[in-house]
Amino acid sequence: MPAVSSSAFGPSVIRRYLPCLAALAMLAMGFAPPASRAGAKSPPDITGDWMVYPSRGKGGPPDPKLVAPQPTPLLLTPKYAGPYEAKRAAERESDKRGEPLANDSTKCIPNGMPQMMFPIYPLEILQTHGQVTIIAEAMSQVRRIFMDQPQTRIEDTPPTYFGHSVGHWEGDTLVVDTVGVKEDVLGYRDVPHSDRMRIKERLHLVAPDILHDQITIEDPIVLQKPWTFTFAYRRSPGYQMLEYVCDNNREYVDDKGVTRMKLQNH
Amino acid sequence: MSRAQALILIGAGSLGLAALLAPPAATAHHSFAMFDHVNRITLAGTVTRFEWTNPHVYIELDVPDGKGGAKHYSIECASVNVLMRTGWKFTDVHKGDTVKLLVNPLKDGSAGGMLETATFADGRTLGDSNPPGGVFER
Repeated sequence: MPAVSSSAFGPSVIRRYLPCLAALAMLAMGFAPPASRAGAKSPPDITGDWMVYPSRGKGGPPDPKLVAPQPTPLLLTPKYAGPYEAKRAAERESDKRGEPLANDSTKCIPNGMPQMMFPIYPLEILQTHGQVTIIAEAMSQVRRIFMDQPQTRIEDTPPTYFGHSVGHWEGDTLVVDTVGVKEDVLGYRDVPHSDRMRIKERLHLVAPDILHDQITIEDPIVLQKPWTFTFAYRRSPGYQMLEYVCDNNREYVDDKGVTRMKLQNH
Repeated sequence: MSRAQALILIGAGSLGLAALLAPPAATAHHSFAMFDHVNRITLAGTVTRFEWTNPHVYIELDVPDGKGGAKHYSIECASVNVLMRTGWKFTDVHKGDTVKLLVNPLKDGSAGGMLETATFADGRTLGDSNPPGGVFER
């Protein structure tokens, strides 16, 4: 007689433990966390401090396999293309004259999205229950990515510097959708945007300590087609983020929009 | 394609080329075009005030004019954050210290400038920003 039919595992025993077995089976099939159900690994650990990669003059020559790929062509709609080029030309000219035009950063206004993701100072990423939080050391900027939540409609989203971000993991990639960035927040390379802008991000580790954020800007009013660029970061283990409060800004903007430095006599 | 669109495409192309030649610079607090990065000056004097603040640290300096008086200069340094990463401490400079500063002066001729290196009262010399060579992360 096979061992399974011995008294220890006889029909009465199975009957006695059937509810438990059923519960275990249900747990395994239907009530386990989504990652386990899909058989996928848990999300990668991107918690920690990150610096834009490569950093100029630091860390030696960059590894071509790890640097961010080139942006796709930027194609603005006719209404925005002319003024954008004119502004860039004016900035180049004013710099040549030694009278740089002011920008929001000069006025200690936060970069906002997406420029916050391309910082000169470190970024800190925190993965907590239901949320990924990204803190930029420069100007102590904070953005919150609400995980596994539906996105709000653009027309219902109040305009803010960092917008309203929702995210989810697709395998090893953190996919983020952001709407509701204030129209006067300038984008990467100072590209303007409308209140219809949507920012799509895909963050993934291309090496254990190199993170890429592929950003696609969709804006049917300003852009003829979506514009994609990527930022790369290197993990900075052991770094401790510093405070940054812009409370002694001695740069000011004169009546011609030129950046000046306030001199103090004593 | 309109002329403006063509211009933008050309612009994007040249930006791409620039990005290939050097990593694109992230946004600094402000353009440094108001300072003369070629004709540098050395200022030796007495600190009248040291502001350990953001977005910039400032050294206020009285420089003897050789006639018994002094000319006052306001020198902008990098941010607290960059200086700390460069090795500075908030105790490195005090009011009354004698320091020597290598400075990129203001192009408009007024008595101010941007720090390049500082030699402290105790003889140590530290840079203001990294890396040197006119590429600023401040």
